Amino acid sequence: MALIYKEENNIATITFDQPDSRANVLGTAILLELDKILDQLNNPSSLKAIVIQSAKKDIFIAGADIKEIESITDAAEGKTKSQAGQRILNKLEDLPVPTIAVIDGAALGGGCELALACRYRIATFNDKVRIGLPEVNLGFVPGFGGTWRLPRLVGLQGALKLILSGAPVDGRAALKMGLIDRLYSRVGLADRVAEFVNEINASGKRRRYPVVRPKGFNAFLENTAIGRNFIFSKSKESVLKASRGFYPAPLSALDVVSRTRGLSRRAAMDIESSAFAELAVTPVSKNLVSLYYLTEKFKKLSVPGAEGVKPAAVSKAGVIGAGIMGGGIAQLLSNRGVRVRLKDINHDAIAKGLKAAYDVYKQAIKRRRMKPADVAVGMAMISGTLDHSGFSDADIVIEAVVENMDIKKKVFEEVARHVPDRTILASNTSSLSLTEMGRGVKDPSRIIGFHFFNPVHRMPLIEIITTGQTSQATIAGTLEFAKRLGKTPILVKDAPGFLVNRILLAYINEAGHLLQEGGDIERLDKVVTDFGMPMGPFLLSDEVGLDVGVKVLHILEAGLGPRFKSSKIFDEVFALKLLGKKSGRGFYIHGPRRRVNPAVQALIKASSAVSDKEALERMLYIMINEAARILEEGVVDGPDTVDIGMIMGTGFPPFRGGLLRYADTLGVERIVDDLNRLEERFKDGRFKPARFLLDMKARNTRFYA
Amino acid sequence: MERIAIIDGIRTPFCKMGTSFNSLSAQELGRIAARELIERRGFDVRLIDEVIFGCVGQPAEAANIARVIALLAGVPKTTPAFTVHRNCASGIEAVVSAALKIQAGEGSCMLVGGAESMSNIPFLFSKATQEIFTEVNRSKTFLARLAAFSKFRPRHFNPVIGLQLGLTDPVCGLNMGQTAEVLVQEFGLTRREQDQFSLDSHLKAVASKAILREEIVPVIPGLKYKEAVVDDNGPREGQSLEALAKLRPFFDRATGTVTAGNSSQVTDGAVALLVASESWARDRGLKPLGFIRAFSYAGVEPARMGIAPAHAIPKVLKKAGLKLSDMKAVELNEAFAAQVLACLKALASEGFAKEFGYEGYTGAIDPARLNVHGGAIALGHPVGSTGARLILTMLKHLNRENLDLGLVSLCIGGGQGAAVILEKGGAS
Repeated sequence: MALIYKEENNIATITFDQPDSRANVLGTAILLELDKILDQLNNPSSLKAIVIQSAKKDIFIAGADIKEIESITDAAEGKTKSQAGQRILNKLEDLPVPTIAVIDGAALGGGCELALACRYRIATFNDKVRIGLPEVNLGFVPGFGGTWRLPRLVGLQGALKLILSGAPVDGRAALKMGLIDRLYSRVGLADRVAEFVNEINASGKRRRYPVVRPKGFNAFLENTAIGRNFIFSKSKESVLKASRGFYPAPLSALDVVSRTRGLSRRAAMDIESSAFAELAVTPVSKNLVSLYYLTEKFKKLSVPGAEGVKPAAVSKAGVIGAGIMGGGIAQLLSNRGVRVRLKDINHDAIAKGLKAAYDVYKQAIKRRRMKPADVAVGMAMISGTLDHSGFSDADIVIEAVVENMDIKKKVFEEVARHVPDRTILASNTSSLSLTEMGRGVKDPSRIIGFHFFNPVHRMPLIEIITTGQTSQATIAGTLEFAKRLGKTPILVKDAPGFLVNRILLAYINEAGHLLQEGGDIERLDKVVTDFGMPMGPFLLSDEVGLDVGVKVLHILEAGLGPRFKSSKIFDEVFALKLLGKKSGRGFYIHGPRRRVNPAVQALIKASSAVSDKEALERMLYIMINEAARILEEGVVDGPDTVDIGMIMGTGFPPFRGGLLRYADTLGVERIVDDLNRLEERFKDGRFKPARFLLDMKARNTRFYA
Repeated sequence: MERIAIIDGIRTPFCKMGTSFNSLSAQELGRIAARELIERRGFDVRLIDEVIFGCVGQPAEAANIARVIALLAGVPKTTPAFTVHRNCASGIEAVVSAALKIQAGEGSCMLVGGAESMSNIPFLFSKATQEIFTEVNRSKTFLARLAAFSKFRPRHFNPVIGLQLGLTDPVCGLNMGQTAEVLVQEFGLTRREQDQFSLDSHLKAVASKAILREEIVPVIPGLKYKEAVVDDNGPREGQSLEALAKLRPFFDRATGTVTAGNSSQVTDGAVALLVASESWARDRGLKPLGFIRAFSYAGVEPARMGIAPAHAIPKVLKKAGLKLSDMKAVELNEAFAAQVLACLKALASEGFAKEFGYEGYTGAIDPARLNVHGGAIALGHPVGSTGARLILTMLKHLNRENLDLGLVSLCIGGGQGAAVILEKGGAS
């Protein structure tokens, strides 16, 4: 039994305590239990109140049961599930007694909807209080009446903000918007709740909605048809902009809210459950759900064979190289409470690093994510140095100097003499061999790759690169550190380009070949963004800098063979010093209004451009083929690592579920056949299907079983 | 009683008010010095028992600035901190407070220093203005508020300059420059000898640039983070007597001789020192820069505050059982050239010694031993930090030149003098 019912002093409490679980999840079984309790209420009018609470730490109800939703395969089944939940929560809503949800932690999705069906909501000053409807992030809409109840309670603007963004609010924000009625200390909570019950019983007033009455212009927006239309059209605009048409859920949620406004509960619930059911069976939703599981898995990633090792927390880090990456790393660390000693060869370099760090903080102030005092504390965590002073207590050293093997080797050789034996020596290299880098160091078991993506504070992925010599302790410590920084780590073996850049460069280079054959810069970029990537290959190349791209291609070519030989156009553009954004010109001319650089387009003489469809296929196939090689070589442990890496490291469209999940939808047979056909045409080996793919074809298997 | 060791120290550059450190608060300057000291020593912050900082213009937004500095510098939150204020000797007071506490058994190791941002001493409103503002705030109706507002006159918005207030003695009513003029008259000091003394200070400071870098941490001031400040910006290369002679008297336009050129500079800067008992330092294998042998404070009339070192010096020598000639180097803070010259004259005078019963503990100070790297006239005088700076500079000097004893002294607004005898660390 997950629910415990008690009555004391005429106050009934229903406590959610799902057995063998750290969280409460609103699945069918638990809902039916609730239904039963509600049915068996003996003369509910004699009760002063029914209090619904959770026995879990920091969690009220974490959401609906995603596994159940994932298993829905047809819309009718989805609708039935949604209606079942709606019916029970309606029953809760219709009780003649005041009902109070006491929220001391996460009340998300179905948990939030259950709280909304109560007459009152109380939260605590627990930092873990999060109330919201994140359903759109999983590709569907709330299905337990949330789309109807929330706007009634907090008004259209507040409700749409929660429903369309999927982002939860904390206790204070919830109180301000009228989502909750009281915010209490956790100490003496039961007494406060009892007092609250007496208060509402004494007043005897009926609830009025919304709880917080809008004033001024907001009253106009909320209370007039013109105002509401304005809200809906503005919301639609921003939803379309954010989802780029790839994600149907927010738009559908908006539609549900606008259609159900003013309707009877029965009619509204019907519209909601239909929308839920339709969306829950879409591939987009299935992909987002599987991505959700994947993210959860990687958040808890541990070292195979060292699961029990609990590494010491990092409190001090040395960062060597105060460039954009070094400054960004220093900022991230300082913001997570890690003291940073930032080393470079002159004061000007350090000044640039500090500036880079401060610029990130400044943005956070501007967006009201941080207060100036917090930023002062953060910046005070960073100090610059020209020598190795302050490295003697470093738990980790991260080098982010120029991508040059000799320099990096020297950096490690030197720093190893100034830090304790326990210190992890990490490199932020994007493509150089860690094994080689550790040659000058006495104990190469401390060497590890810690590859951040630019911009450091925003990109969620870290590639952790291990060599054959990296020790379990080093890996475990680094993994723990990555998690502490709030990043998603993936474990990658030391091989040229590691995971993300290897696949990415194969694809960008293929874009170069396509351009060379007579393609169009903007059109090729559009093909890719239409597929769902955040930007096209040429714009990305401009962002990264062509010098960097070409350099990495050379490293890949040297390490992996001629299939990575840079396309002619890249060499030409590089020779013209059109490096991209950093030099103002690349494939595009950068400025207030970005436009294609005609000088580059003019270099293209050939005119045998392929169709958009074939262009996209070639770019995708070359990535899939490279990913297959990576699996074949054992660089990463499985397709999910590839997919999380590509989604979080390159923005590969999440709604496609990941590169290899997408490949599975194409089917290995088609991929191999097309690769063979392309190889036949170009005969340079770059499309030669990986053995891994051929094996898959032979055995008729998929990347994901 | 156990000797008190100064383990190490560091300071920010000293920068003239309104220049490179204009945007840095006193707590930020203090934080930079304190943190850098910890970093360079690789010092375990958990060993610090208390943090004590001196500050004269204590920022309104950082009450108990020592605590703010401690927290920003990464000293554990469980370690207490307090701020001391003895005007220009606040930095010395921080060291002395730590010494006394350690000797009393209240801790073994303390992080001390001084922090001052004279650029950020606020402008204030007059009491009359403040009262109108209060009335406006208390008004309940719009009309009442309007009525209160209408009381404002342009004069109400003339700021009261906090720095000026701080540099004016509330008892005798003279500002610090005027107290220097009192000594000029009493000792018959000439404009020329004051200017010459000041020129020497600049020459010595300019010549000592490389040496002073040994005690300075380069600072890259936020929030622009443009470039590093590596040196003090007070010392003027190419300073000439002629240029100094051209300046008009600042405090007494008609008959005075004290100018901006022969006075200390108004400056921003911070100093941090690690202080511990000798045995504690020895047990941890730390080699201190030096030791505090003795310290003394003395009081005089507020209007003659600049002469107070001439009283504090014999007092501390007597306490230590040493002679002035034992002092191989002397740092006599240059609040004003006039005031230093007055002290030198008094100390050299037998009449002075006799009058106050200082026989045997005064004498002439060899100019070659005095302020060898220049003083506050060139380097600047961030009031709350200077005392700690003098100790740091002296100890570095003693070590560099292998001298056994040094004397640090300064005059203190309000009519006090401080003197500290320092011993070189190392083998002794």
